[in-house]
Amino acid sequence: MAEGLGALLEPAAIRLAETATDRDAAIRRCGEVLVEVGAVAPAYVAAMLDREQSVSTYVGEGVAIPHGTLAGKETVLRDALAVLRFPDGVDWGGQPVTVCVAIAARGDGHVEVLGELAQILLDPDRAAALRAATDQATVYDLLTPIEETA
Amino acid sequence: MANIKGSDIQKVVVACDAGMGSSVMLASQLRRQLKKHRVTVEHTPVNSIPADADVVVCHAGLVARARGSAPDKVIVPVQVFIGDPAVARLVKAVETGGELDG
Repeated sequence: MAEGLGALLEPAAIRLAETATDRDAAIRRCGEVLVEVGAVAPAYVAAMLDREQSVSTYVGEGVAIPHGTLAGKETVLRDALAVLRFPDGVDWGGQPVTVCVAIAARGDGHVEVLGELAQILLDPDRAAALRAATDQATVYDLLTPIEETA
Repeated sequence: MANIKGSDIQKVVVACDAGMGSSVMLASQLRRQLKKHRVTVEHTPVNSIPADADVVVCHAGLVARARGSAPDKVIVPVQVFIGDPAVARLVKAVETGGELDG
């Protein structure tokens, strides 16, 4: 599964020392990184801002998952993720956000990784580790889907 | 408002705008929780809820669109994507076979 994660989440798409003055600025940074790694066309960034206007993508534990709208899907070139960490935090409609997992998806390639992210958010220790991650290896370790043992 | 018995729930659809982010995460949680009850969990855009869905789970802000797209379904609105009490009620209804409104 690590191979699958590597294809979705390039090292270049992990940025662990970002700053943003507000939520929209953070979303723009997320979008710019997805553009830089060739996952989306620049128009996708506007779709991400639209999506946030309708319903917040805050998912708990200081994590948000900005992504585009249905209309914006046409500007997705390939399934990809980006992880941006804002050590100073960003005010996300009243919630402090430290980590953004930005999503570009046409298919279901990212489903397992998001499932793993959901598991992380249910585990305060792993969520804290994600918020504190300062190297890429830690991010990969946390987001690599674990085989279910139960 | 519709209602369904938990024992009649076979397919749960988690809907969001693009079917790309939040719904995917919530669906993965529900799939884990409902696996042993043989309930299918899918995630779709809110505008294309499949006809064979028994229950639709979506963000409270998307309920009107979900109802427009699936007028006869039980709709479970959620406020948060992880650990929402509405989701816990759905899981309980499946486990006990009790009634679920929405």
